[in-house]
Amino acid sequence: MAGGLVLVLLSFVPPVARAQGNYEIQVYGADTVEPKSLMVELHSNFTPEGQKYVIDGVYPTNHQEHETLELTAGLTSWSEVGFYVFTSEQAGHGVQWVGDHIRPRVRVPDSWHWPVGVSLSTEVGYQRAVYSPDTWTWEIRPIVDKTMGRWYFAVNPALERTWHGPDVNQGIGFAPGATFTYDVSKQVNLGLEYYADYCRITSPCGLHEQQQQIFAVTNLNVSPKWEINIGVGVGPTAATDHLIVKGILGRHFDWGHHSAVD
Amino acid sequence: MLTRRRFTQLAGMTSAAMTLGRGVRAQMKMPAGQPMPPPAPPIPANAPPADFTLDIAPYVLEASPKHRYPTVAYNGQVPGPLLRMKQGRAVTVDIHNRSADAEIVHWHGLFLPVATDGAMEEGSPAIAPGASTRVTFTPDPAGFRWFHTHTFAGNDMRKAQYGGQHGLLIIEPSEGSGATAYDREIVLALHDWGGREMPSADGSAMPDYEVATINGKMLGSGEPVRVKQGERVMMHVLNSSPTEVHWVALAGHTFHVVALDGNPVPQTATVPMLRLAPAERVSAIVEMNAPGVWVLGEVRKHVQAMGMGIAVEYANATGVAKWVQPQDLVWDYGQFAERSYFALPASPTGIDGPIEIPLTFDSKFEGHGNEEIWRINGKSYPEVESPPLVAGQRYRLAMKNLSIDDHPIHLHRHTFEVTNVGGAAMRGLMKDVLLIPAGRTSTVEFTANHPGNTLFHCHQQDHMDRGFMMVFRYA
Repeated sequence: MAGGLVLVLLSFVPPVARAQGNYEIQVYGADTVEPKSLMVELHSNFTPEGQKYVIDGVYPTNHQEHETLELTAGLTSWSEVGFYVFTSEQAGHGVQWVGDHIRPRVRVPDSWHWPVGVSLSTEVGYQRAVYSPDTWTWEIRPIVDKTMGRWYFAVNPALERTWHGPDVNQGIGFAPGATFTYDVSKQVNLGLEYYADYCRITSPCGLHEQQQQIFAVTNLNVSPKWEINIGVGVGPTAATDHLIVKGILGRHFDWGHHSAVD
Repeated sequence: MLTRRRFTQLAGMTSAAMTLGRGVRAQMKMPAGQPMPPPAPPIPANAPPADFTLDIAPYVLEASPKHRYPTVAYNGQVPGPLLRMKQGRAVTVDIHNRSADAEIVHWHGLFLPVATDGAMEEGSPAIAPGASTRVTFTPDPAGFRWFHTHTFAGNDMRKAQYGGQHGLLIIEPSEGSGATAYDREIVLALHDWGGREMPSADGSAMPDYEVATINGKMLGSGEPVRVKQGERVMMHVLNSSPTEVHWVALAGHTFHVVALDGNPVPQTATVPMLRLAPAERVSAIVEMNAPGVWVLGEVRKHVQAMGMGIAVEYANATGVAKWVQPQDLVWDYGQFAERSYFALPASPTGIDGPIEIPLTFDSKFEGHGNEEIWRINGKSYPEVESPPLVAGQRYRLAMKNLSIDDHPIHLHRHTFEVTNVGGAAMRGLMKDVLLIPAGRTSTVEFTANHPGNTLFHCHQQDHMDRGFMMVFRYA
């Protein structure tokens, strides 16, 4: 599945899902990476205004610079697998490896002719306790999206489960993400992204403890090979970093041999 | 051109005509601002039987036992019937529209008056659902032509040329015209089915298809073409696809191309494969000198996998049809043009020499979920302006394609001479469809010798639906 739309979809990045903290901030589109191709993305997130204190042995997020390498390989026309390497850089701590995740994903094939794009991803991974008290986590993320002319929306009602850490007894957490964007031109797309964590899905925590973030984003479609997403987000609740700047730079690589007759 | 006001005046002449006109308007999807076509006159009550009859009616195409597509077709078949007419001998065709939509039949490649050409943009009448009409015309020029619907599909990719309304037409030359010798004649129509809008590499949506067929069947689902060793087979190939260019090859054989778009080429050439843009036709002789069962199919693997192929079976040969995969796509219009073009005068000038009409093609982005709006000289149909043509004058269309798509442009009611394709000059190649390469300038010349409104458009259904049309008017 080629094209600018894919570019746009792939750049609608996601959330502050607690499983990844502020390492990969992206709302997923339903499309998957084509088989015999690889999407390499660098997620760069800086927190100008965040948590300033060490709490329960976890480093503060204030002035942390997160660099996340994401490699996503297409398996079939309807499936892919992604792999993440999370890193953090902060004064006094230097550059640190934070953890790794793996994320298989499947989608409804085009031949089903559904009126909306639908896919399902699941993500499992580890992160060091000094960066996240929950070290082993699992997430399942339904994805629904739709393009209507110049408008695009996607929702990711993600569910999370901690396998090791303080929240292991919390049960299933609810961390939705959503985006709504508009094509200003063929190259420039503007929109909003919303990320939240409502704690336990069966008994959401109070607003004070919820994570809520809204990003103003720009997606630049300069080439089908490249993905560029830039955003600034604010978090109004006490449990959320108050200001985050994020960027995604992606490059699509194709290792299949494609002759004119393929 | 018949304007909306003029139509109202005409429609007011009789209540019957007005009623029919309302029916047409209600049933014909049309782009905003397009003049409404006049209603087609009914068949006179005491008319003698027509030479040909076309029934436009719902039909279910079975491309394979697993692929069925409800569509509308001519005479209950896809492709429609092969009609044979004699050049210069008047014929009558009764057309019965038993479909749910207003329809119109375009006689592609013929020099017909506006009333029978079959393009509502020119002012040809449309046939209301349930109505019938009779067209009478004198076929000209000779050659492999075709006929098809010429309506608006918009986002409904089962309508117009996305469906099954296309048929084959051979105009046999009048007495004395030389003809290529052959033993057997075969007609093949390429088509794509099950289209829907998908994201494209250029950022906008474009049609993508489930199935591709030859003569309405996927490879392995239809009857083979049966031939005998030693035969010279004339293959008339039509690309009736609504939007797609196709390359076809016959494994184990070559094509000796003798005509393009039904017009004899100045220089015949033997080629390993044919390339046909939407609406293009190629007539080629194939020497049947390799006994066996072979695949005649799309050269590109993914398109052949969608079904575009047909078996060619020699007498007494058995087994699975064999395919030999070419490794490249090869086609050049210039190989069929006059080889000594550079020694000829710049142009066979008309009364005052060719007048150049510059045409620039580009598109306007409408969102990643929409197709672009197409423009000629910065405007979309019906706002496109065109200079009036003077009868007898020769014109040169200088087409600058600024888009990243190739466009199969078609000029109604005339044949043009190809003089430059993307920078390659040539002479003598007469066509009515030409694939204009992206990002390049190409030129064709024609003599304005068929007065009346003359439609010029990209033959891709999605492009013509989104503005890539203009009407030349005669002064």
